[in-house]
Amino acid sequence: MSGEREVVGYGVNGSPIYIDCVEFPFPAIRYKEATPEICALREKELSDWKKLSLQEKKTLYRYSFGQTYAEFQHFTPEWKLIVGIGLWACAIGFLISLSYCAKLYGPFPETFEEERRQAQLRRIIQLEMQPITGLSSKWDYEKNKWK
Amino acid sequence: MSTWANLGLQDSSSPLMEQLIFFHDHALLILVMITVLVGYLMFMLFFNKYINRFLLHGQLIEMIWTILPAIILLFIAFPSLRLLYLLDEINEPSVTLKSIGHQWYWSYEYSDFNNIEFDSYMIPTNELSNDGFRLLDVDNRIVLPMNSQIRILVTAADVIHSWTIPTLGVKVDGTPGRLNQTNFFMNRPGLFYGQCSEICGANHSFMPIVIESVPVNYFIKWISKNLNS
Repeated sequence: MSGEREVVGYGVNGSPIYIDCVEFPFPAIRYKEATPEICALREKELSDWKKLSLQEKKTLYRYSFGQTYAEFQHFTPEWKLIVGIGLWACAIGFLISLSYCAKLYGPFPETFEEERRQAQLRRIIQLEMQPITGLSSKWDYEKNKWK
Repeated sequence: MSTWANLGLQDSSSPLMEQLIFFHDHALLILVMITVLVGYLMFMLFFNKYINRFLLHGQLIEMIWTILPAIILLFIAFPSLRLLYLLDEINEPSVTLKSIGHQWYWSYEYSDFNNIEFDSYMIPTNELSNDGFRLLDVDNRIVLPMNSQIRILVTAADVIHSWTIPTLGVKVDGTPGRLNQTNFFMNRPGLFYGQCSEICGANHSFMPIVIESVPVNYFIKWISKNLNS
């Protein structure tokens, strides 16, 4: 599997596999196979690095590695698809539950009519229910209206 | 009673319920703080770029995150145990009420006063008055004196029921063949509602409990009226 590529480390349990990974930065095998041009550059690399041009440095990098840190660490756009599908699912679920209200559930009991609700509220206030932090605490009993 | 969109506990009518509400708020505050801390830590993990490939152990941090929760638990345990023993305090009740659960109504007996007994059925929705509370109002309410210790003995005639009034912090299961006793104290007049709290058949949701808390002299008048009738 490794072809002519140079093995430079121990690898994954002994197998030299190429992986681009932040946790294990230096793979055990070079990325590309050795060619005469690369060998010449490797010889030049042994002397002063200031004599190497930028393009030569990049070629040497790409000989040993497949991607740069920036290339394999950036965010991918899949999250947009997932968020989109999620929002669609929420919208469809909401519409289904709306349809239940329209069709499936029966009418409200007669105690939900406005007149009866007002009467019940009047009785709740007269009985002083929840007088500490709840409903009756918001009613001003001296002025007979809401605080 | 619960009012519309009531999310939390009902306002208390009893000093013990006040203490229960305080403890609930205290424990919930601690829980919220822990949740916010853990949520923040989990969130920050998303944006953390540090890697330590050779991490093996961290003895100091492990000590800290073992001792600190133990201290937090002490802060929960001490108020909890205090309240637990407070609820079991001995006191001298002035009135004893017996409550018997049936399928599907409650019956009450006041044996202190020449055996006053009556059944308490829910008022059906179609017979409710204009300001009646649906599924909560009953035909015969339990009348009890306020500012007095009340002893209640709960049992059942057929299946297990549970007698509860949330605003007084009382919930007692009524089991056939067994008498369960608890005490409560009402510190304001009014109507206090509760509903059966143990599944007991088809009409389990339709057997409410209503206590009418009145000053002592009104209670005595009510007793005399019922003794004579």
